[in-house]
Amino acid sequence: MKAYENIVKKYDVWKRALKISWKEYLSEVAKNSLTGEWAKEVAEYLIKK
Amino acid sequence: MVCVNMEKYTFIITEKPDAAQRIASALDVQGKAKKRENNGVPYYVAKRDKEIVVVPALGHLYTVAAERRERNYFPVFNFEWVPRYVAERSAKQTRKWLETISKLAYDAAIFIDACDYDIEGSIIGYCLLKYACSNKERISKRMKYSTLTTEELEKSYDELLPHLDFALIEAGRTRHEIDWLYGINLSRALTIAAKNWSGKYTTLSTGRVQGSTLRFLVVREKAIRCFVPTPYWSIKAEIDIDGLIFEAGYEKKIIETKMEADTVVDDCKGKNGEAEKIDVEKFQQMPPTPFDLGALQSEAYSLYGYTPMRTSNIAQRLYLDALISYPRTSSQKLPPAINYEAILKNLNKVPEYEKLAAELLAKTELKPNEGKKEDPAHPAIYPTGKLPERVLDTSERNIWDLIIRRFMAVFGEPAIRQSIKVCINVNGRRFYLRGRQTLKEGWLRFYEPYIRSEEVLLPKIEAGQTINIKKIILEDKFTKPPPRYNPSSLLKKMEKAEIGTKATRAAILQTIYDRKYARDERMIVTDLGFEVLDVLEKYCPTVVSIKLTKELEEKMNKIQTNTEKRENILLEAVEILKPATDKLKEKERIIGEQLSNAMKTAKIEERTIGVCPICKTGKLMMIYSRRTGKRFVGCTNYFKGLCKASFPLPQKGTVRPLGRSCRGCGWPTVQVRMQGRHPWTLCFNPKCPLKENRRKKIELQNLQ
Repeated sequence: MKAYENIVKKYDVWKRALKISWKEYLSEVAKNSLTGEWAKEVAEYLIKK
Repeated sequence: MVCVNMEKYTFIITEKPDAAQRIASALDVQGKAKKRENNGVPYYVAKRDKEIVVVPALGHLYTVAAERRERNYFPVFNFEWVPRYVAERSAKQTRKWLETISKLAYDAAIFIDACDYDIEGSIIGYCLLKYACSNKERISKRMKYSTLTTEELEKSYDELLPHLDFALIEAGRTRHEIDWLYGINLSRALTIAAKNWSGKYTTLSTGRVQGSTLRFLVVREKAIRCFVPTPYWSIKAEIDIDGLIFEAGYEKKIIETKMEADTVVDDCKGKNGEAEKIDVEKFQQMPPTPFDLGALQSEAYSLYGYTPMRTSNIAQRLYLDALISYPRTSSQKLPPAINYEAILKNLNKVPEYEKLAAELLAKTELKPNEGKKEDPAHPAIYPTGKLPERVLDTSERNIWDLIIRRFMAVFGEPAIRQSIKVCINVNGRRFYLRGRQTLKEGWLRFYEPYIRSEEVLLPKIEAGQTINIKKIILEDKFTKPPPRYNPSSLLKKMEKAEIGTKATRAAILQTIYDRKYARDERMIVTDLGFEVLDVLEKYCPTVVSIKLTKELEEKMNKIQTNTEKRENILLEAVEILKPATDKLKEKERIIGEQLSNAMKTAKIEERTIGVCPICKTGKLMMIYSRRTGKRFVGCTNYFKGLCKASFPLPQKGTVRPLGRSCRGCGWPTVQVRMQGRHPWTLCFNPKCPLKENRRKKIELQNLQ
């Protein structure tokens, strides 16, 4: 739940910084080595969904 | 056989055998106390104004135990203080110690408690005088000392305190009883639930402080696992001044958008800069404060990687050798009574410290830079000035040296340092070049080689000078998750939150590892750790509430100042525990299932080494052969017929997955520990380049 909340919350910052779409954002988060294990799982699930 | 050939003698009880020997030798007129034995238990006879019998304990010889001895029930609220051998199967040897103490106390005329002057020492002495010496606690006198040096022990014996510190004892007893009530009830609830569900016994423990500490770890672990990094950019200018290369950072350390970062880079590319402003600031760096136990543990961890528990044990050994003062102190004060000059004069005899000690001795006044923290029982940790009578091992030598240098450093002059900030204007964008240098070493000299200050020397730059910009570097960065706790930072967190005591914190951290609630140096919470805390938070949140734990600590401390009563606090603890244990009992089946599953996962996790480097899909696991009983490493895909990877393991010692890859080949690694040897990292790859290099090196050495 917290991981999902973080993903949603941080999108605004990413969008402003890099002007990227939701999907691009998710894939960036999923492949980033600093992303937490649970957040990564949520991002991967959202990509598949 | 008890051989005390005297009519009436003075009976001194100490906490440990080493302390007994030191005290007896210090009090004997000839400095040669006689060692005797009763049933294998050593004691010492010294001659002074009268005969003195010094008898050691073995730490705590009495403990809190349930009145009903059965193990498989809870809640338990009726308890009593009993000999440890009654309550713990592993403490059988303590029986003969108690028998010896009782026998030797029988004919004594004067009783003196010479255990360490803190909560634990006071309880040890009190219990022995009360239970083993037939209620002598009210007539006993107290020796108070902070070092085991002859001078201080003699002074302490000549100026005995008239009675025991009963307020301290009451506070200590309450702490033990409360911790026992929490520990026994909650641990039994968890262990019984898991055992009844799985049929297998595994000790699961938690306690008043342990639960809250685990909570710190879990909160941090969740923050790390849920962490989503955010991008940012930073810009540096590589500049050339008289052939020397420096880096200057852009005025805005964090640039939040790529567009802004690109604009800055475009503005500066190919342009030269101009030194606009040069700020020079001199500042004083005060000497460090003397070591209290927490600070020593933290410094030893950052310098040598010693766990707080290890440092505490090493310091205890140095104390028993009379090389340092009592280490379990929270004081940052060094009173003049310890005699700074005498200590420095003794250190002056050691070649390594000779010059530094002489320098301090030449000062007109020796004034330590003390910290704020105080401890009513002991000063900060300091070297006694005594030299080792045996060869210290490396770790002991390291800690001793660290304490000596810190002691000398606190008397040093402030260091004077200078920071230089050059503002460079590059086409309207400002960059800062920073330098830092020491102008006057002051105390830094005394604390070498433990200083961690960076020196960045800049060439002479004048305002208006043109600065040659070699290139502009744009760095893509991401915010980082909060760092994992390590034993040292977790100990600091406990100290800051004021939970536990200086004597117990390190042991609690060790229990968290032993119960497998966390693993690795950078503490990673295991599934079992998550589940145990989840159970406690779900069904009895009050027992893991940091606020409540702290409040209880404060109330227990009040007993020490006679502003709170033991009975009230015990009652309060029972009022918290009763509904908690009721709830745990009610939900026993669900809890049992949850914990059993977590234990199963934890056991698998413990044996999993990493992804198989051969098939890349299976996992390498430690396996025990049913046929030979030997252990080896195999791939989980073997049973599916997909991978035959297997590697041998040493059959002796303990093997633990390291959770990190080999720096030579990237294969997963394990750590092997064997008695009498340093632990080493084992890579399974027979063709690992590191092994190859090592082999070549050995061959070369052999040839030479």
